Amino acid sequence: MNWEQYIFEGKPFEGIYIFDVHGHVGAHKPFQLGGYDADSVAKTCRRMNVDGVVVSSLPALASDWKWGNEEVAASVDAYPGLIWGYASPNPFYEDCDITPYLDLPGFVGVKIHGDMQGSTPVNDPRYFPTYEVANERGLPVLFHAWLSAEVRAAADVARRYPNTKIILGHSGMTARDTALEVARTCDNIFIDTAISSTYDNAIEVLVDKVGADRVVYGSDICFFDCIHTMGKIALARISDTDKEKIFGLNARGLFSL
Amino acid sequence: MLRFIDARCMLGERCIIREGDPNTKEAILELMDRCHIEKAIVYHAMARESELPAGNMALIGETAGDDRFIRQWCALPSYFGEYMSAEDFFDAMKQHHVTSMRLLPKTCGYSLRPHSIGKLMDLAAQCHMPVFIDLGTELTTDESYDLCKMYPEVDLVFGNSGYRENRRLGPILEQCPNFYLGTGNYVAHCGIKLFCEYYGAERLIFDTGLPTGSATAAVSLIGYAEISDEEKALIAHGNIERLLGEVRL
Repeated sequence: MNWEQYIFEGKPFEGIYIFDVHGHVGAHKPFQLGGYDADSVAKTCRRMNVDGVVVSSLPALASDWKWGNEEVAASVDAYPGLIWGYASPNPFYEDCDITPYLDLPGFVGVKIHGDMQGSTPVNDPRYFPTYEVANERGLPVLFHAWLSAEVRAAADVARRYPNTKIILGHSGMTARDTALEVARTCDNIFIDTAISSTYDNAIEVLVDKVGADRVVYGSDICFFDCIHTMGKIALARISDTDKEKIFGLNARGLFSL
Repeated sequence: MLRFIDARCMLGERCIIREGDPNTKEAILELMDRCHIEKAIVYHAMARESELPAGNMALIGETAGDDRFIRQWCALPSYFGEYMSAEDFFDAMKQHHVTSMRLLPKTCGYSLRPHSIGKLMDLAAQCHMPVFIDLGTELTTDESYDLCKMYPEVDLVFGNSGYRENRRLGPILEQCPNFYLGTGNYVAHCGIKLFCEYYGAERLIFDTGLPTGSATAAVSLIGYAEISDEEKALIAHGNIERLLGEVRL
């Protein structure tokens, strides 16, 4: 496949299954987002031939978990088969139970962002009831994993709940080496590609260190535009087979689609 | 096909390197080839990380005979006889075909106010020379407003803006026509489209931030932006070609 031609002519890839494991809907107080509702996410996905995206709600992570998870449910309903849902708990509410959302069609995993929830470590016991449900159902859990401590806490969850599939969002970002280290020791850890101010050859390093089977396309839409991450994968010096795994084939298995 | 000129690239050895980084000139050229980047404006790592005068001269050696690199020097106001005078600095730039300069106020510990860099900026204005500076590491977005207002005759290119800055950028873009934004790290969802819609593609300058930034990401951000082909061409190469074309040393 001539990936370069598609990018430099501004055309979306054709004949490639693309599934984005790291998306959001909803506004975010600290800065402006260039379109944050389901319509905006769906429009971009369709324009770029993205077959599916799993979203969590920023308001669910930041303020009102019920309101936010309802927002995800509405997004999934509006774009069935294109937008899929992560349910997100809030550790500060004892009555928080996201199981009813996980029972809904189109909800396929859990998103946890401890940093947005009072910098709560993701291995805080208040999150354990959620992990038990995910473990029982074999659901993926996507973590915001930016710093070394966050990566290590996520790895602790991976070891406690071996039937879950842990996705380290942002590849550990500033803690890439830690992310690679824990991925090598935990078979149920995967790494996503949602890195904002990244460097070149990052995809090559991920594939070299943990194998293409463990790397999944994540964009962090609607924080980031999804298009620059696509280019990083498409123009990486890895095989076409590995690119296709990262773009969507791995996620298809991960989410049992 | 779209062609690019990179307005923010650094050559030379750095203190901190990561596995996979394009750490050599050859590695950067390979990435430029892969990403259809015809030319890159380059400054030297030594000028930023340790000895500025030596770094500026090292750049001349490293780029000799290679027309894919457009030379940029890092500026240092000279007091206590530390560096050459502003006039000599511009003479030397002319002699060595250096067509832009970069400010490093935090890294090198100097003020951006006229009492400090006024002479350098006056000469830049006289020569129509664009001046580059990074947001975040060298000044805040708010401080970029002050810089634009202090030197309204100088075209200022601000690199390294993140995706969270629109609320700070908007008022500056409205009030400072000499403010240009580098695109490399401006990865906000629909950010390029929104920027073009409200402030025009003429104010965006393609850059990568190599070797620590990503050329593959940067070209995709423009190639796939939801804007016209004409706007893409302006951002990818047209705007920086215009700015450099106006330089009269």
